[in-house]
Amino acid sequence: MQESGRYQWEVCEVKEKLLELAESAVKMAEKLGASQAEAYVGQSRAFVIEAANSAIRNAEEKHDAGIGIRSVINKKIGFAFVTTLSDEDVCEAVERSVKLAKASIPDPEFVSLPSDDNSYPTVKGIFDKSIAELAPEATADMIIRTIDASKQVLEGRNYAIDAGVQSSYGLNAVVNSLGIASSEQRSYIFLYSSPNVKEADDQTTSYDFQITRNLSEIDPEHVGESAAELTLSVLGPKTIEGGEMPVVFAPLGASRVIGYGFAGAVSAEEVQKGRSYITDAFGDSIASEHLEIVDDALLTAGLGSRTFDAEGYPSQRTSIIERGVLKGLLHNSYTANKDDVQNTGNASRPSYSGLPSISTSNFIISPRKGNLDDLVSEIDRGVLCRNTADLPNMTTGDLSAMLYEGFYIEKGEIKHPLKNTLIGINMRDLLQRITRVGADSKTTLAMITPSFVIERATVTSG
Amino acid sequence: MEDLAQAAIDAALKTGVSFADVRIENSTTTIIEINDGITRQSTASRMKGAGIRAFIDGAWAFAQTTNLTRDGLRTTGESVAKLALATQEKVAERFTIDGPVFEDKVKLNVKKPFDSISIEEKMEFVQMIDEQARDFDERIVATRSIYGELTSEIYIANSLGTRVSLQNAIPRVISAPTAKEGPNRQRIQESISLRSGFEEMETEEAQNIGTKAAKLVIALLSSKAAKGGVFDVVLDPALNGVVTHEAFGHAAEADNWPAHSTVLEDMVKKVVGPDYLSISDDPTLIGMRGSTEYDWEGTRTKKRFMVKDGILTDLLHSLETSSRLELEPNGAARAQSFMHAPIPRMSNTFMEPKDWGVDELIEDTKSGILLCSMNYGYTQPAKGQFMFQASYGYLIENGEKGTMVRDVSLAGNILEILSKVDAIGKDFELEAGSCGKDGQNVPTMTGGPHARIRQVPVGGM
Repeated sequence: MQESGRYQWEVCEVKEKLLELAESAVKMAEKLGASQAEAYVGQSRAFVIEAANSAIRNAEEKHDAGIGIRSVINKKIGFAFVTTLSDEDVCEAVERSVKLAKASIPDPEFVSLPSDDNSYPTVKGIFDKSIAELAPEATADMIIRTIDASKQVLEGRNYAIDAGVQSSYGLNAVVNSLGIASSEQRSYIFLYSSPNVKEADDQTTSYDFQITRNLSEIDPEHVGESAAELTLSVLGPKTIEGGEMPVVFAPLGASRVIGYGFAGAVSAEEVQKGRSYITDAFGDSIASEHLEIVDDALLTAGLGSRTFDAEGYPSQRTSIIERGVLKGLLHNSYTANKDDVQNTGNASRPSYSGLPSISTSNFIISPRKGNLDDLVSEIDRGVLCRNTADLPNMTTGDLSAMLYEGFYIEKGEIKHPLKNTLIGINMRDLLQRITRVGADSKTTLAMITPSFVIERATVTSG
Repeated sequence: MEDLAQAAIDAALKTGVSFADVRIENSTTTIIEINDGITRQSTASRMKGAGIRAFIDGAWAFAQTTNLTRDGLRTTGESVAKLALATQEKVAERFTIDGPVFEDKVKLNVKKPFDSISIEEKMEFVQMIDEQARDFDERIVATRSIYGELTSEIYIANSLGTRVSLQNAIPRVISAPTAKEGPNRQRIQESISLRSGFEEMETEEAQNIGTKAAKLVIALLSSKAAKGGVFDVVLDPALNGVVTHEAFGHAAEADNWPAHSTVLEDMVKKVVGPDYLSISDDPTLIGMRGSTEYDWEGTRTKKRFMVKDGILTDLLHSLETSSRLELEPNGAARAQSFMHAPIPRMSNTFMEPKDWGVDELIEDTKSGILLCSMNYGYTQPAKGQFMFQASYGYLIENGEKGTMVRDVSLAGNILEILSKVDAIGKDFELEAGSCGKDGQNVPTMTGGPHARIRQVPVGGM
């Protein structure tokens, strides 16, 4: 108890220090001529252990601290950052930020940085002290357990396992001229195993992972075992006769296509610029009635959960699709001011090293019924996309995706893995053709989604 | 700089490791982005810090610090060495790190250093590119134009005695307009980037990139979505470079050998393609984005003949891989910044030209697709599967360039694709790119001549 008390006190002290530093940077920018200014200070520690060929090979401890300053002068904006927090470097960054603002072309649609008129929600479970206090030995032990679990499944085969664990925690502080002064502490841990297996004239690989804000959820045995099983399942891939057929998306494939490929299209910035394939669709039925999507920054212990966004604006839950109808877009202060609508608090930035853009918090497809096996059992002839790395053309919506890990389905059963196989479909059709949504939700880096089925897409294989 | 690095190395060795190295970086960037005539982003950055590695018996540790004082370097050197010692017992294979020692101070001479051009002048340059695209045609509904510059100084030292300082300068200009006609919306990106000062932004090509991109995006409005199927394809230099880089280069990075994570593992000195096929990676080319005199471990760089007359020859090495595989180091270890440990990477990667004329190649193909310019590409070396997407292309009908098609994807397997390359052009071009691996991005170039690949699956709508 005493330990933890002391720890809390130290955290408070660091928070205060970062806020003070951010405040003084804002004051300095104002003094140099900025009408509004904002400083974002980020400080983090990441601990990484990596294994190759089934043994530990590398450990990293990364301390990172820096500041980014946004200056506004008559609707002209400049930004500068530096990877240190020393007075001299911070001064230089503030000067460069103001100088860039002065040289810029005014943006008539810029209204203001956000103000502090709103109250902040309470969001639980975003910092786990046990992640911050995780010792190198305990982390190494975790990765060895993961590798051992993979090894057990692969016994007697020719294999090599890549694995890794990253635990990270950090503090950030946002301060601006309009009274915003917020700081928060967040943590997460990421664990993966990626075995590769050689057999006769075939060689393949797959992976599984877990990412969470809660150390007690980490299950190295499950990750290791599942990664090895998945790898064995993709041995011996074949091509098939192409054509129009149904596609089942498992959570990983779904999260790529929806978590990036659709989430990017509902960013208000992309829509306002006319670069999104769903431009002018607000209030329309753009998807099948089976589809419901929310962006929920308040989810307890969610990976994207936070009290405030990257501009210090309060977080919220935003409905994106309700029964297939487009209900909302993701906004930051700039796009909300431009459209004169409520800011949804979706400003995001790569810590201190960039200007705010827009991204999801926890992008969630509401689960309905059945697991992946149930969905596959209902398909007469089709393919399963377990994973893809591809994205649609965000302007046209055309998606041509290789099945990074794909399977051929016949008469409700998985027949064999696929190679050199692509699916082609426009995103607008993909959304409309969702005939079934499962209940097997998984948290990925991009979103939380169950498996789903689309009625048909063009499959090419050869 | 020398004494700071020495303080870290001494502290690490004293703690008990057998090898240590340090990279001290001081880099600045400026990026100006104009959208539809308005400054969307003007950003400046300074990356300043040191990355330190310690090694013992097969265990590596890495740490970074931005506290560039003797004390800061000494403390970090000591803690990184302790971290390596902590994992020493858990490694599977023991080995040592050895390599040649280099001492050099390389100066990069550019005609127009970035700081000799005012920020206002750079802003005007981007404004001009943006206007070119907007004024080209009324169907251009959105423009995005970017100028970026990177200047960096790196000092590298290791416990073997290497002491190298390097300089780099890379400018880049990008034009990415969107065009609209009825419900049809298209977008394209054109870019130029080299290793130089601002002078390369003053060439006729760079000064007119907005017009070039606009012309292409308007042409794309009348393109058709490609139909999927198995085709004979002709790749333009940009795409040939992507195939070479994705379908082959990554699998030849030597860190895949100790990790057993490449389909090329048993193919060294063996035939991987036809005897008229050669693929090289050359960081010694003058003025290219991927060029550097020494790598980020301080090893002098050399041209790598990855495939020579169809035979897998040189791999891409770091000091670890050349030590473990007992091969000659060739300076391929790169890191995105001081915040990362260097790993084997490509530089300027290309297929060597042969004897086909471009028109001759198209005529001879009869029926197929000519694929041009890349959207993106990726690979999974342990599986051999790769995929890339062309920005646009043309159907080849009766030996002639026909209908324009867009967003054409191609999937294949590393060990199968090279043997399907049956004709290689005599032209040659390199394109600016960026390559990502293990969360690190580094500037690269890719290219080659036009080349034909027989019977590959092409994805369509």
